[in-house]
Amino acid sequence: MTPAAPRSIDAYLKQLRAALADQDPALIQDAAYDAEEYLRAEIAAHPDKSEADVLELIASTYGAPDEVAAAYRDTEAKVKAALHSPPVRPAVETPSLLRRFFSVYRDPRAYTSVFFMLLALATGIVYFVIAVVGISLSLGLSILVIGIPFFLAFIGMIRVISLGEGRLIEAMTGERMPRRPVHPGPKMGLWASSIAMLKDARTWTTLAYFILMLPLGIVYFVIAVVGLSVGLACTVAPAVGLLEATGLFDAHFTMEPAWLAAALPLGVLCCIGVVTLTTLMHAARAIGRAHARIAKRLLVTPG
Amino acid sequence: MEESQVRKFQKDLNGGLVALVLLAVLAATQEDLYGYEIAKRLQKANEGEALFKEGTVYPVLRALSAAGLLTSRIVPSYSGPPRRYYRITEEGRIVLNQYREVWRQTRDFVDRFIEAGIHV
Repeated sequence: MTPAAPRSIDAYLKQLRAALADQDPALIQDAAYDAEEYLRAEIAAHPDKSEADVLELIASTYGAPDEVAAAYRDTEAKVKAALHSPPVRPAVETPSLLRRFFSVYRDPRAYTSVFFMLLALATGIVYFVIAVVGISLSLGLSILVIGIPFFLAFIGMIRVISLGEGRLIEAMTGERMPRRPVHPGPKMGLWASSIAMLKDARTWTTLAYFILMLPLGIVYFVIAVVGLSVGLACTVAPAVGLLEATGLFDAHFTMEPAWLAAALPLGVLCCIGVVTLTTLMHAARAIGRAHARIAKRLLVTPG
Repeated sequence: MEESQVRKFQKDLNGGLVALVLLAVLAATQEDLYGYEIAKRLQKANEGEALFKEGTVYPVLRALSAAGLLTSRIVPSYSGPPRRYYRITEEGRIVLNQYREVWRQTRDFVDRFIEAGIHV
């Protein structure tokens, strides 16, 4: 049984969202944005007709919600296949534990995730400052005439930034994120838009994400820097020590404590370094995935 | 029953044709176009029953853009949200020429059987 033909933009979008309910929230946001853009343009192009009259003809021009949903579903499957290279084919025999442990170096996502962790401190600080300054100025200016336009500009800005953050996360972790912003909806007065923004759950979850990014960014950055520096130092130091022992090379390098400067401790140190680096790569990949899920919950799903 | 067979056939056919038509529309114009404009151009050419719904245009535009056949830029609009304008790339023109050739061959091949059927 198909639902009754929608007679308003809201009803159309609701049916479209329902028809895509099993899909990724990021895809739903993209499809809803395209539909809302078309429907609003169509209504603006027919000023003599009411919204209900325009919507009545929509099924034969733009397509009924379930037809449009099917088109997005098909295209998404094709684009996903084209953009994401197939996963590295696992060896026929079950790979040994050791092989699986080191296979992380063949995964580009592990490298991009490490980069994301290093970058997260910078973006975290920027987002935190924007959120805190924006909230406090909005509150402080709310008693003045300029308060409302300022609040609207601030929310508009964090929406654009959160779209950018989504693109960054998709590039770094491969998680599907929106390619369209949230549709601003119909043109309303300043006061009505402010009320709508205040009522929108996504406004608050986006701000929460911006604030959360500072502590998360610090933690990610520390993990990445400590892992990289300890891992690289332990891996490279024994080699430099050995080179110096040959006398070919003088880096003014001394091993402290002195008992370390022997073949066995140096070998152990090198192993510790390699294990630390590899563990960091695994941790980065896991953190990247977990962070993408947090971002999707806060930046995409509500709304 | 018959109606749904026809629709399914049309949908199967449209799978690749929408991409061909969109590339052709963008190759034929000097200006950049946004989704709604492209949809309206198709509608104007589409007298009577539409061959495909305008809603199917948007996801295909995005897919073509992701594949590098189109470039896009965002322009703020006074009447609503910012619009994404599309333009065909050099690679897109090359692919369009290949598509065109495939389409001509397919059409001639299919026509040979269909025309023969009519004459019998």
